[in-house]
Amino acid sequence: MRSPLRAAATNDLAGIRARHPDVFALSPAQRLTGPAIVAIGVGLALYALWRLEFSFERIGTGIVQLGYFLTLMVPPSSGGKFAMYLGALAETLAIAFLGTLVAAVLAVPAALLAARNVVANRVVHFLARRGLDSIRGIDTLIWALIFVSAVGLGPFAGMLAIAAADFGAFGKLFSEAMENSDRKPVDGVLASGGSEIHAVRFGVLPQVFPVMLSQVLYYIESNTRSATIIGIVGAGGIGLHLAEEIRTLEWSRVAFLVLMILVTVAAIDSVSARVRFAIIGDRRRAA
Amino acid sequence: MLRLEGLVKNFGDKRAVDNVSLAVPAGQLVGVIGRSGAGKSTLLRMINRLVDPTSGRIEYDGIDVTALQRADLRAWRARSAMIFQQFNLVGRLDVLTNVLMGRLNKVSTTRSVLKLWSDEDKALALAALEQFGIAGIAAQRAESLSGGQQQRVAIARALVQEPDMILADEPVASLDPRNTRIVMDALRRVNRHFGITVLCNLHSLDLAREYCDRLVGISAGRVVFDDVPAALTEHVARELYGLEADEVMDMPASRAPAGVVAVAA
Repeated sequence: MRSPLRAAATNDLAGIRARHPDVFALSPAQRLTGPAIVAIGVGLALYALWRLEFSFERIGTGIVQLGYFLTLMVPPSSGGKFAMYLGALAETLAIAFLGTLVAAVLAVPAALLAARNVVANRVVHFLARRGLDSIRGIDTLIWALIFVSAVGLGPFAGMLAIAAADFGAFGKLFSEAMENSDRKPVDGVLASGGSEIHAVRFGVLPQVFPVMLSQVLYYIESNTRSATIIGIVGAGGIGLHLAEEIRTLEWSRVAFLVLMILVTVAAIDSVSARVRFAIIGDRRRAA
Repeated sequence: MLRLEGLVKNFGDKRAVDNVSLAVPAGQLVGVIGRSGAGKSTLLRMINRLVDPTSGRIEYDGIDVTALQRADLRAWRARSAMIFQQFNLVGRLDVLTNVLMGRLNKVSTTRSVLKLWSDEDKALALAALEQFGIAGIAAQRAESLSGGQQQRVAIARALVQEPDMILADEPVASLDPRNTRIVMDALRRVNRHFGITVLCNLHSLDLAREYCDRLVGISAGRVVFDDVPAALTEHVARELYGLEADEVMDMPASRAPAGVVAVAA
């Protein structure tokens, strides 16, 4: 059965086309944009593969080699160093947790300065943004190398490295969350006679707090993995042992360490999911 | 013909809809009235199956709506279009795409996901927008429109579903008086001009009286009134709305004590 609307549309098809030409006929530029972007993307990817000497042959021999290592990994064994590994793992966790916490605490004031809707001054905003960008531009691993030279080998350097790198990341993420927050609650606070500080405290922060918290929880997870890597350059934790065992080709111990890290990351993942739900999931709870 | 038989919905211990039985012939404009929290929204959402009934049966032209699953259920939802108080448009998409959402059930998933709408569907969407005089804003983002415009876009979306029925859940509760008129006129037009059955939850009794062929009064989840608007006496209305009665009725005589009226006259 034809609906009256369909009848109206088909009877007046010419009229509708004439009144809304842009809906039906895309301009050549619009028509070509999509395919052009895809073509450029594919071209760049092919060029990069060629430049990086992509070779199926090397992937094949690599897989054979990896398979051989895998046979050496079974069964995983701590080789009597379990207590030592456990201590190093605890150190890694401490580096990740403290580093993230320090970064988050320091990033809040920096983010306030960098958020356009909080500090209206363009110069302050520009300096804060560029400052955070520069810090963020340097990877955790580089910060670790720098701090190992500056304060010596060990977990303290690792914690500083994570704090420094993530201060930049949090500053950017937090300030962007603040800029994306809804303007209406702010107007509500200002219209009630509140100051600019009140507007930030009661209008902006309650909106962005759940976002910030969820980012911090994610970074604690992710930093547990980063802390493993920076251990390799001497910034403490389990990464040091991992690097050592790989160097000496003790594959069963490597497998044991990798399993310990996997279990830990999975545990943190599930705990942080629960914490996130407990704090953010409950909408009735006030921030 | 839509038939509800002994429809019940419980939320935990609370009974939101209590043994509702109704028969709605095709082409009627039915107003569902009652105070806030009486179960009007739950009733409408059950018909569209956004909410599943705890017990009871919904039947439409011999189809057992309560038993529908998957593709059949989606096809039923397309046939019983829904209009919401908060419009429920996708704010970041343009008006035309929002209206074309009404075609999703009929277009292949590949085409719709890539936004490859057929010319016929585009014409349908534009024709629907022209019905309500808003085809000129087809390219604008939905979030940039006024409430009245957004609700008309939502009605256009419902219309291109080519539905048998439109379920409007408090369609004017977020609108100012002028836009309330425009939107209610649009719903009446959908009913009269396109012959689509309209079930409309309304808080305002005056609007319900003015626009509807038939009123169904719901109180604490039960049907307590079902008749033409003229049969709704002030006594019944007071029973239906309780303390809210004065808010929803425009009856100055009943609001002011008799003595005051006499003095003013």
